[in-house]
Amino acid sequence: MSDREIASDDLSLPKATVQKIVSEIIPSDLVFSRDARDALIECCVEFIGLISTQANDIAENETKKTIASEHVIKALQELGFSDYIEPVREVIQEHKESQKGRERKIGKFEASGMTEEELLRKQEELFGLARSKLQHDEAVQ
Amino acid sequence: MDQSFSNEPPPSDERKQSAPVVVRTRFPVARIKKIMQADDDIGKVAQATPLVVAKALELFMISLVQESCAQARLRNAKRVSPAHLKEAVLKTEQFDFLADTVSKYLDPVAVSSEKEPGPGRGRRRKNAAE
Repeated sequence: MSDREIASDDLSLPKATVQKIVSEIIPSDLVFSRDARDALIECCVEFIGLISTQANDIAENETKKTIASEHVIKALQELGFSDYIEPVREVIQEHKESQKGRERKIGKFEASGMTEEELLRKQEELFGLARSKLQHDEAVQ
Repeated sequence: MDQSFSNEPPPSDERKQSAPVVVRTRFPVARIKKIMQADDDIGKVAQATPLVVAKALELFMISLVQESCAQARLRNAKRVSPAHLKEAVLKTEQFDFLADTVSKYLDPVAVSSEKEPGPGRGRRRKNAAE
C-alpha cells in the first residue's frame, strides 16, 4: 500500500456533513454510532485514494498530465464500480451544461468577429486618432 | 449490487427502506480535491474531476451504510457500530480494498449467538451487539 501520511484529522471529511448524509440514508429506527461514523469516514478517505491512484495511473498511461473525468470513469470500471458510471456521467453532463452557460457571457468578444491582435490594433488606431484630434484641438486654440 | 439511484424525491413516509435513496447533502468538492492531492503522486486534476469523485463517493457511502445497516439488523441491534461496518466490508467484494482498514475494528458477534455478550477486546462497550 502507498506510504502517504495524512495527519489524523487534517485531511478528512467534515464530520457534520458525513453525519448529515448518513442520516439521509439510514432507516429511521437505526442510529449510526459516533465510532461507526468515524470508521465510515476512514473508509471514504480510502475510497478517494483508491480511485485517485487508479485514475492517475490511467492518465499517466495516456501520457496526460491532468486527471480527467474519463480517467476516473475508467478507474471505476477497472476497480469493480461500474454501477457508479452512469450517475457519474450525468454529473459530467450537468457540469458541461453549466460551463456552456458561462461561455455565453463572453459573447461580446466573440461577437466582434475579430481576433485579439486585430482588436488591439483597432484600439491603437482609435487611440492614435484621439491623440491627433486632441493635438489638433489644442493647436487651434 | 442491486441499487437504483434515481433522482425522484422519496415518498414522504418510511422513505429509506423501499424507495431508492436520494442524498441531498453535498460533499465539499474543494476538500475532496485536497484529499486527492495529499498523495504526492497525484498531479493536476481537471475542474470536473473532484465533482466526479464526489459523486462516486456518495454512491459508495450509500452502499456501505446500507450494507452496515443490514448487518446491524441481522443482529437486532439499534445502533450501527464499526463491527457492522467491518462485516459489511468483509462480505462485499467491491469493498475488498477496505479489508486492511477494517481489520482493527472489533469483530461483530456471530448472528446465531446474538443474545450472548461477545468476548470483547478491551474497548469501552461490553456488548458488541449494542
